[in-house]
Amino acid sequence: MKIVDGQKEKLRIEQLEVSYPQEGAMQTALKSVTFTLYEGEILSLLGESGSGKSTVAKTLIGLLPSSATVRSGTLILSGHSSIDLSRPSTSWSEIRGRGVAMLFQDARLALNPMMKIREHFRETLHAHRLASKEQIASISEHWLTRLGFTDPSTILNAYPHELSGGMCQRVCLALTLCLRPQVLIADEPTSALDTVNQREVLHLLQSLQRELGLTVLLITHDIALAEALSHRVIVLNEGRIVESGLTSQVLREPSHDYTRQLLASRDLTSDAKAISPPDASSLLTIRNLFKTYDAEQPILSGVNVQLHVGEIIGILGQSGCGKSTLARCVVGLEHAQSGTIHFRRQDITHAKGSARRRLARHIQLVFQDARASLNPRFSALELVQTPLHAFRVGDRKERLERARYLLEEVGITGAAQHRRPPQLSTGQCQRVAIARALALQPEVLICDEAVSALDMSVQAQILELLQRLHRQFGFSILMISHDVRVLRAFCHRIAVMHEGRFVEFLQGNRLSSGEHAHTRLLLQGADEPESV
Amino acid sequence: MNSRRASCALGFGVALLALLAGSVFTASWLSPDDPLAMNVGARLQQPGMEHWLGTDRFGRDILTRTLHGGQTTLISCGLALLSAVLIGMLLGALAGMFHGSVFDIVLMRIIDVLLAFPFMVFAMVIAALFGTSLFHLLFAVVVVWWVSFARLTRSLVFQAKNSTAVDAARVLGTSNTVILFRELLPQALGPVLVLATFELGNLILAIAALSFLGLGSQPPSPEWGSMLADGRAHFMTAPHVLLGPALWIILTVLAFNCIGEGLRDRMDPYEKARIG
Amino acid sequence: MGRRLLVAVLQMLMTVFVASLVLFALIRLAPGDPAKLLIGRTMDIAWDAAAYESTLNELRQEMGLNGSLFSQYASWIGSLLQLDLGTSFYTDRSVAAEIGERLPSTFLLAGTALIIQMAIGLFIGILSAVHSGTWFDTVVRLLCVGLASVPGFVIGLVLLLALAVQMGFYEISSQATLSRLWLPALTMGLLGAPQVIRVVRANLLGELGQVYIQSALSRGLSSTRVVWHAMRNVLLPTITLTGLSFTSYISGAVVIESIFAWPGLGEYALNGILHKDYPALQGYALVMVLSVVVIHLMVEALYVWLDPRMTRRKKEAVHE
Repeated sequence: MKIVDGQKEKLRIEQLEVSYPQEGAMQTALKSVTFTLYEGEILSLLGESGSGKSTVAKTLIGLLPSSATVRSGTLILSGHSSIDLSRPSTSWSEIRGRGVAMLFQDARLALNPMMKIREHFRETLHAHRLASKEQIASISEHWLTRLGFTDPSTILNAYPHELSGGMCQRVCLALTLCLRPQVLIADEPTSALDTVNQREVLHLLQSLQRELGLTVLLITHDIALAEALSHRVIVLNEGRIVESGLTSQVLREPSHDYTRQLLASRDLTSDAKAISPPDASSLLTIRNLFKTYDAEQPILSGVNVQLHVGEIIGILGQSGCGKSTLARCVVGLEHAQSGTIHFRRQDITHAKGSARRRLARHIQLVFQDARASLNPRFSALELVQTPLHAFRVGDRKERLERARYLLEEVGITGAAQHRRPPQLSTGQCQRVAIARALALQPEVLICDEAVSALDMSVQAQILELLQRLHRQFGFSILMISHDVRVLRAFCHRIAVMHEGRFVEFLQGNRLSSGEHAHTRLLLQGADEPESV
Repeated sequence: MNSRRASCALGFGVALLALLAGSVFTASWLSPDDPLAMNVGARLQQPGMEHWLGTDRFGRDILTRTLHGGQTTLISCGLALLSAVLIGMLLGALAGMFHGSVFDIVLMRIIDVLLAFPFMVFAMVIAALFGTSLFHLLFAVVVVWWVSFARLTRSLVFQAKNSTAVDAARVLGTSNTVILFRELLPQALGPVLVLATFELGNLILAIAALSFLGLGSQPPSPEWGSMLADGRAHFMTAPHVLLGPALWIILTVLAFNCIGEGLRDRMDPYEKARIG
Repeated sequence: MGRRLLVAVLQMLMTVFVASLVLFALIRLAPGDPAKLLIGRTMDIAWDAAAYESTLNELRQEMGLNGSLFSQYASWIGSLLQLDLGTSFYTDRSVAAEIGERLPSTFLLAGTALIIQMAIGLFIGILSAVHSGTWFDTVVRLLCVGLASVPGFVIGLVLLLALAVQMGFYEISSQATLSRLWLPALTMGLLGAPQVIRVVRANLLGELGQVYIQSALSRGLSSTRVVWHAMRNVLLPTITLTGLSFTSYISGAVVIESIFAWPGLGEYALNGILHKDYPALQGYALVMVLSVVVIHLMVEALYVWLDPRMTRRKKEAVHE
């Protein structure tokens, strides 16, 4: 990795302080943030949600919401006069696009659904008077080609909804690069994409950065991404810069406690011994499960798996591979066309009505979007009592006691037990959802991407919680995730799912030894981040 | 900021409505004169100290008639809307629960047909066939007006049925009845209430318009609509005859619109916790 | 996209069919014998019972009231298809001809009102969305709530009193001339404007908060340019609203037409009610239903045509 010391300054931000109104008072989102971006480098701004990293990005391009107040701050962009950010400025349209450009997290949302890609290009180039009418087509085709599109004219005539998320992000990148900006801000540019698309966009970003000598500010929560791409790293926590320096230095020998904590949560190196070994008797048996919505492509095409008592099986796959449908079939939210699901000796494939209701005592599901899975009108305590009430477990007092105990177990204590979901954090919501799922003491717990919406440190906490509960109660877990990291730390076995079936089973601790081509594709990026 | 404005609108609307309802329902105490008593010597008097809003062509005090007449108008409009809401919610909830079933499809076709009849046209046909009276107008209201509530409830219940919260409730073994009352209907109740508030205002306006044309309740009973129809004949020479009922109608509808605006702004349970 | 429209057309035909059944049933359900009603007007020989009976029978035969309900309906539909809506009890003229004379003036009024409404609504709606939260926005909101609370005839009467009676700007007669068009049209336009303002403001505000707006701004597009970006997406709800407004204008024009003595369909229908002129009323209702259904269909077609997400299905999506 090259050291960029002594190079030309491209952009500098000084003493930035931003606050938002919250619950009647002004809450400081950023406090005395100062940093410099040098020509030709990639600087990562690393932080969890709520750290203020997106606020930095929005400040740099003048897109803060009107409720935010910039207390102080100066932006110095080379070739421009310095801007006092605390004053409303009219010169943003000169800076945006050519001075500072931005790549958004979800590219599908960053393109106008009613406009063709061609119109996006025309308008963008036109706004800066960079091309005549005749040139627009050739310039846009040129940039689309550089971004790896083989048939740029088709893309130009497409509407955003006709392109995949990865393609949209490449189009967005072409749209920003055709203006040759001095600084590119990339705000979580890949976190809305799945693994394979992610890698493609990153490769392009990396190679174009090198070819064009781009200066990039990468905003991310993903340590691996920062490590793979950036020259320098700034770690942001609660609106303050806690640490900054060369990537290798900060991420290998962190000097600040917060950075160390963040790095620890990334590794998720739970001791495999802590996971109690499974029993030999089988609990849940799925045979040849098949499901299709339309005749062309089945969503499940012959799934076979056997879950033993106390076992944790991870299901790894990209979005759309059918893993969520599998979970929904097991709990009866959807029904398979053929194949069987057995719980112990009982065939539950087509269980309906009261038979299905009784199964709630044995099989439970934790959803990805915990907040949405909780009725916002009830308090945490009431929510955990719901299933107890439905099955008439104990009397009123016992149910309350049990709910209290479960909430304590998942770390929701004191006043938080009486809060309703809108007043709880996302992590707390997931804890409540887990407590509710465990209320009936199920033997099988299915976690459908249960941690993927959470911050990394919260992820670590929830996974630790699940591990502890697993030891304590001895249920089996089907852990569904797209994230190798999460599964590796946690599972006895990992099933790799692709196009509706399991292509390979791996032992939890020997994940890198996958043989199937798709497994290797999934593992590629995760294992060895390429260096710059 | 938003929530403060919502409370303002809500407070203003409720206060105004309380004031109006108070004036109307205590009419016999506030203004003990007989609303039907004629006084031919005092015909079509301009508003003044003796008759605050003037008198009509039979010399009847307009303020007294407006206050007394409001009872009929408000109660009958309220009852008509209430029946429309109840019918609409019931049918809509069933259609939403059993989305795509025969019942749902038939209901949607019926709604299509009813939507093809504009309310005004339907009310006019009813009035022509069965005679002009307030009761027939209200009958037309109930027949047509439930449609918007049914459509709203149906879409809300259907949406809620496919939500993660209901999936979660299913997985937890919650019975269908409990899901209907704890998850589905509460989702629909708020928006339906908001719609009902606005629609009550619209309903009063529509009834007023039809009465103005002479299709509503008939003289001499004091009712806002019939007073309007009555005043229509001489509005060129004595426009003040319309002032009383028009003013009360405007203020009543304004109150309902304010309440509706206020309620709409505070419905979302996540709104309060959200930043900014 | 063709399929979607085909379904819409089929649904429309079904709606019209059921609506015609409903209308037919309503007229037949009505208390009173149409033939007796008609005879009451044309003959004063009710004391001669025998002559009365025979004339009545003749009339029934003539009006097709003697056959079974089904054959009555069939013959009614048959004549409808030949654009024969029957003869008015009151004026003794062909209903179709009379409606044909009046239809243009009602559509002219509704169309002009629609243009005024959309012009006011779009202009103020866009302004108050762009300046949301300012005093201007607050004033507009208050005005909208206020205006939406006033009955249409009150606004009409006030304008008529002020402009025609007091100031003499407007001539009161019953001619459908262009110089008489503007006041009723303005009244209706004012009545409809608050709803347009509300819809445009709410949708535009929603769109302006979207990521694609931020993205367009970040590429250096000016803030005015970005509003046009967003307006493309506000177009669709606005079209729906336009359709709804138009239908409510042609049916709700009754009140305004009667205040301004505008010789449109509303006046015809009111006379129909007054004189229990069933054929006239039936014809009026049928024309209204047809207009509503056709407007719905046009909105649907516009939607399909304008929204790229409808014209191009996922299957034709670009693949690499």
